[in-house]
Amino acid sequence: MATRLQFENSCEVGVFSKLTNAYCLVSIGGSENFYSTFEAELADVIPVVKTSIGGTRIIGRLCAGNKNGLLLPHTTTDQELQHLRNSLPDHVVVQRIEERLSALGNCIACNDHVALTHTDLDRETEEMIADVLGVEVFRQTIAGNILVGSYCAFTNRGGMVHPHTSVEDLDELSTLLQVPLVAGTVNRGSEVIAAGMTVNDWTAFCGSDTTATELSVIESVFKLREAQPSAIVDEMRKSLIDSYV
Amino acid sequence: MVQYNFKKMAVVPNRKDFIDIILSRTQRQTPTVVHKGSAISSLRKFYMRKVKCTEQNFRDKLSTIIDEFPRLDDVHPFYGDLLHVLYNKDHYKLALGQVNTARNLIGKISNDYVKLLKYGDSLYRCKCLKVAALGRMCTVVKRIGPSLAYLEQIRQHISRLPSIDPNIRTILICGYPNVGKSSFINKITRADVDVQPYAFTTKSLFVGHTDYKFLRYQVIDTPGILDRPFEDRNVIEMCSITALAHLRAAAVLFFLDISGSCGYSIAQQAALFHSIKSLFMNKPLIIVCNKTDLQPLEGISEEDMKLVMEMKSEAMKTVIGLGGEATSDEGVLLTMSTLTEDGVISVKNAACERLLNQRVDLKMKSQKINDFVNRFHVAMPQPRDQKERPPCIPQSVSEAKAKQAGDKEKRNTEKDLENENGGAGVYSANLKKNYILANDEWKEDVMPEILDGHNVYDFVDPDIVHRLEELKREAEEGDDEFEMDDMELTPEEQKTLVEIRKKKSLLIQQHRMKKSTAESRPTVPRKFDKDRKFTSKRMGRQLSDLGLDPRMAINRARSRSVPRRGRKRERSVDRGDPGFGDAMDMDVDTPNKKLRMISRSRSRSRSRPPTEVVPGEGFKDSSQKSQALRKAKKSVKKRNKDARRGEADRVIPTLKPKHLFSGKRSIGKTQRR
Repeated sequence: MATRLQFENSCEVGVFSKLTNAYCLVSIGGSENFYSTFEAELADVIPVVKTSIGGTRIIGRLCAGNKNGLLLPHTTTDQELQHLRNSLPDHVVVQRIEERLSALGNCIACNDHVALTHTDLDRETEEMIADVLGVEVFRQTIAGNILVGSYCAFTNRGGMVHPHTSVEDLDELSTLLQVPLVAGTVNRGSEVIAAGMTVNDWTAFCGSDTTATELSVIESVFKLREAQPSAIVDEMRKSLIDSYV
Repeated sequence: MVQYNFKKMAVVPNRKDFIDIILSRTQRQTPTVVHKGSAISSLRKFYMRKVKCTEQNFRDKLSTIIDEFPRLDDVHPFYGDLLHVLYNKDHYKLALGQVNTARNLIGKISNDYVKLLKYGDSLYRCKCLKVAALGRMCTVVKRIGPSLAYLEQIRQHISRLPSIDPNIRTILICGYPNVGKSSFINKITRADVDVQPYAFTTKSLFVGHTDYKFLRYQVIDTPGILDRPFEDRNVIEMCSITALAHLRAAAVLFFLDISGSCGYSIAQQAALFHSIKSLFMNKPLIIVCNKTDLQPLEGISEEDMKLVMEMKSEAMKTVIGLGGEATSDEGVLLTMSTLTEDGVISVKNAACERLLNQRVDLKMKSQKINDFVNRFHVAMPQPRDQKERPPCIPQSVSEAKAKQAGDKEKRNTEKDLENENGGAGVYSANLKKNYILANDEWKEDVMPEILDGHNVYDFVDPDIVHRLEELKREAEEGDDEFEMDDMELTPEEQKTLVEIRKKKSLLIQQHRMKKSTAESRPTVPRKFDKDRKFTSKRMGRQLSDLGLDPRMAINRARSRSVPRRGRKRERSVDRGDPGFGDAMDMDVDTPNKKLRMISRSRSRSRSRPPTEVVPGEGFKDSSQKSQALRKAKKSVKKRNKDARRGEADRVIPTLKPKHLFSGKRSIGKTQRR
């Protein structure tokens, strides 16, 4: 199931939220609309936590996590750290790391098994990612962009990357991540995939500018409904050609 | 998104309003009071300003009209022709031309009168010239009154035109009047077009939108067309023709009323088809036989059937012209009934599918497709190891999915709570509500941020118990070793050992401190004793440390030193200095209450070694930082040694002062004069 929503008139929902298989972080907004959309969808299954990180609302870009753990930047205050530790279940390891690149969400993209990271991350950070999140770590770029966390979004079932990724890169990344991948956009052509959407193994939230075509690509590649990734090359091919070219 | 938006054009006022608007604006924008006695130059300036300002206002207003109305030659040919059909190109251009001429005339008038005003020699003359100038400008505008009225009418009409995008996927519905075109668009879109049982109910183009395979299609309902020569067609019919002629990205649905209840026989409709078939070229064409509820296709007479088949073969030709799907004749002739909604969806789907196929075929042939190949590629992973990487979906999700979405009871969300409690901005949600703690009563516990000047969270250590254990174990091991060491020593020797160690560590500390700070001090000979370190008091302390009586030495030193205007009174022994105490009382705790208070109130969480990286400093790691520190120290070392004030201190003292070395030397010495 993919849902379209907005955070205070901004379609960059991936900036203001972080969704994993074990928890969901949502930033504190002026009203409860944004939070309640997540709450209605997820609160029966996983904790949905309102928080800020380092006093800012751009939590999706600042932290990185999966079902095993959550990595926070050094800008996180002690109170926020405590709040998150209290709100998340004990099996989720919450760890603040001393990394020069503090927008961890932009530098790290991960699912529950594999992580792609920015090429300039510290060695200690890399070890920390492997330990806390329990993943294999690969230093990678996506279509020449070093901010892997911004330009791709993937779960254990599928993934979407920057629209300029070449076919060879797609195949290579797919083998690395062991999930099907497509190159695509969200929010009516935005190429910052992870900023425009947030996704886990069974649900996705996209910015409200996302077109029907984009949404159907998302639903099939992340296997959110019955659709399989192969639908993109079969049934949807014509619509895609007509809307892109 | 919509390229052609004529809804935002400014209102064109009628001539009276136009003049009122401009004159009152001039009145507001220029000074209104002038005195007879003022200098003539300022009088001229005052009136010139009025004239120029009026001209500027007229020009602005007229220019907006000229710029905002679409230029028939520049807009898309579809709109160009449509506007021509509706408003007559010549008339339209004439009106805009008149406005343009008026603008130029007004400019000329203003120029002339400004020139004349330069020669005005009294207030009265200047005023007369101004009145004349404004009057002439207003007359010019009065003359174009009819054009303004006409343009206003057009503006009102144009702003009500449907916003048709000539370049996107379009389905065009055409046919004789009263064959069911509007009923069809009402069925497949949300456009609410009036449907009446008489001809020419639809008098202009109508637009609706429909979706097919995730794409949006623009559906255009056109007025009915009669089969007559081109010149005889009226404005309403010409709208349809324009749309057919200029909308390239369209699929055409030609509606055929096979029951004849519209008042036209199949033969007449076929004749129309053949007369306008040139307009269908290069467009997917579908012949739709409507009103099958009255008359099924199979039931029509033989010659009518022949006519229908003829149209079908014609329609096939347009398909062949496209190159695509020449062999299949399905989707060229379809039947439906808008009354019973029989086949309506299949007609829509066929039209959308054919249009889509045509566009895709065209695009596949273009060069641009190569840039997008990656977008149609799904990369499937090659297995790289034996590891299983399963998805992680909680049980409850799949259960909820299995359950029907409808019978899930709605959760009382935070938004509902917010609405009940005063709405956004008033309601403040409790962040601690969903804490997962061992005891629910702890949720609302207040935890102080700062306590006694300390950041509480610096002292929170989740595995403190574990560490304590470890420390204890280590300490025990350490004790054992120490005892082993001391086994052979007598108590006296042990005491000495302790003394030695203490002194050693003290010396090391001092040395380190000196190394870190004194190293870059300026080199000053010891005898100058800048810091007043080498005092007799210190000498006394050191001597007594060695177990010698220092009095003699002190007295001797005193007797030798250069006397300075008598000696100061000796200081009395203070409280914190119990005699000539041992050590250097460097880190002796002062028993001063006030001092202690001050030091307590400071909040300092932790001492950091200088090389530890503090986030935000911009260092990658501690080795980088220590390197930077080393470099910084080295860079200032020489400067400090030379006792420079800073890097700007490049003073070279006068090495050979001239006044000492030149001139006659009658009195005094070379060094001193």
